[in-house]
Amino acid sequence: MLDLCVLGALAHGESYGYEIGQRLEKSGLGPIAGGTLYPALLRLERLGLVLSDWRAGTSGPARKYYRLSNEGTATLRQASADWAVFVSNVTAIMEVP
Amino acid sequence: MTVEDWLAALAAELHRRRIDPAEVVAEAAAHLRDSGRPPMEVFGPPTAYAVTVVDSIRGTAPPRDRGAPRLQASNISKRYGRTTVLTGVNLSVHAGEAVAVIGGNGSGKSTFLRICAGLDSPDEGQVRLRGTIGYCPQDGGTAGFLTPDEHFVLVGAGRGIRRTASIAQGRTAAAALDWPRGHAAKPARHLSGGTRQKLNLVLAGLGDPDVLLLDEPYQGFDNGSYLDFWQQVWQWRDAGKAIVVVTHRLAELDRADTVLDLSPRNQR
Amino acid sequence: MNRILVVAEMALREIVRRRGVLLLLVLLPLLFYYSRRDEAYWQSVRMVTLGIGFTLSTAALFAGMGARTMDPRLRLSGYSASQLYLGRLVALWAVGCTVCVPFFLLIRLDIDHVRYEAVVLLMALTVAVSAPLGLAVSALLPRELEGMLVLLSVVCLQILLNPDKTVAHVLPFWFSREIGTYAIEHDAGTGYVTRGCLHAAITFAVLLILVGGLSSIRLRRRAHLSTA
Repeated sequence: MLDLCVLGALAHGESYGYEIGQRLEKSGLGPIAGGTLYPALLRLERLGLVLSDWRAGTSGPARKYYRLSNEGTATLRQASADWAVFVSNVTAIMEVP
Repeated sequence: MTVEDWLAALAAELHRRRIDPAEVVAEAAAHLRDSGRPPMEVFGPPTAYAVTVVDSIRGTAPPRDRGAPRLQASNISKRYGRTTVLTGVNLSVHAGEAVAVIGGNGSGKSTFLRICAGLDSPDEGQVRLRGTIGYCPQDGGTAGFLTPDEHFVLVGAGRGIRRTASIAQGRTAAAALDWPRGHAAKPARHLSGGTRQKLNLVLAGLGDPDVLLLDEPYQGFDNGSYLDFWQQVWQWRDAGKAIVVVTHRLAELDRADTVLDLSPRNQR
Repeated sequence: MNRILVVAEMALREIVRRRGVLLLLVLLPLLFYYSRRDEAYWQSVRMVTLGIGFTLSTAALFAGMGARTMDPRLRLSGYSASQLYLGRLVALWAVGCTVCVPFFLLIRLDIDHVRYEAVVLLMALTVAVSAPLGLAVSALLPRELEGMLVLLSVVCLQILLNPDKTVAHVLPFWFSREIGTYAIEHDAGTGYVTRGCLHAAITFAVLLILVGGLSSIRLRRRAHLSTA
């Protein structure tokens, strides 16, 4: 689940670890510990869903920037569609008449 | 625990799990700098975080079909006079596997290795080998009046390697073990104990044998060389060698895939 | 063949680097030679070859002992037992022949009325027998000290024992008396040479079988080990 949220956070553009965490927190998922976030990124990278490269930031030392791969975009689109279906089904069932 | 301590501990934990720590540590450091929070809160204990990272990078590897074991020792027993040193010892080592053999003094570790190499006969039991052996004895195994290069040529010729190729291969392997410069022309008896033992280890690996039998090969190594030694073992393992290391350093057991304990109470 | 030559080359390098043995190899026969030069010059021919025999077999003893820890590793590296001992023998023979040259020249210049071709034969046979003698002793005895004592005893007995006694015939250098006599005494017949050569040939064969046998047993393929 977290992996999909990370993909979603990257759909708004490439970013580095700390900023991804901030985006997730701002979207209401609560604080995500670094101990969970980075392993998720490494996992997504191994599966080829995100790509990364090291770049010098505007200030301070180099950062590792992540972005979605084509495969990652496709996966996210599929998951998002599945999720929408799932949510509408659940909403329909839980609707109080 | 300061941030620096925590990062150093993480680097060490990753290193011993054979993951290059540079990127993971740099990323964690950047995060800690950005967030300004203590590492234990953000990432937890270094060891646990290292384990999670390693799992994420490697994934849960599907069990490989490893084929028949390279070395299979079955039911090995050995007595010297009335003293029984080995009773019904079994061991299988596959390609790409490193086994540590442990046990106290006199528990028969070296004897077991010599039996596996076919240098000693057991009273009972069989050893089945698939492939060539490289053997590193605990001491000896080098000729005092020959230089390291001459050793490479001599052992290489046995394996059918040409003179220049043997020397090149030997020197490369020696350099990986932090070999002191300019020692290629000194007779072995003028080398320090640790350097001679490195020569011994290089000779065992010369000519790419399939099975490596190493009897406490790091005696006299300083700490850096000791780590280099394990790097070498892992390289061999990744290259598909079957490796048996006799060791007494119990703290290092998680460096091997399997442990065979020859202490008397553990023998059946 | 290449393997034998590599073993020979390395054994040769080892011997050449043992300065002490090398010095002994030259000095001892020289001492033997001059010990009899004045009162019995004809004996000095035999003494010098005995000296060469003693020092060369000692060099072989050291070579054999030194090889003990190395041999199992070399065997596992692909050498056969015979390649190992043949390589060492070749090296020792080469050293022996080289050492003989100056001593032959010494005899040639220093002593007249000697059958020089017989001296050459005597030296060649001594070298041939000494190398496997030293290797055999090194394979039979645990340490260099014991080996040295045995070789010393052999040479002493060779000098002291009456060569006509049957027991003297089992000594490895008995032939040197026979061929030496032929070299020095002009009325000695070729029977001396025949007997000497026969004795040297038998000694050589026995020692070679001993060295080969002991080495093959020590480095044998163990029954418990099977390879696929």
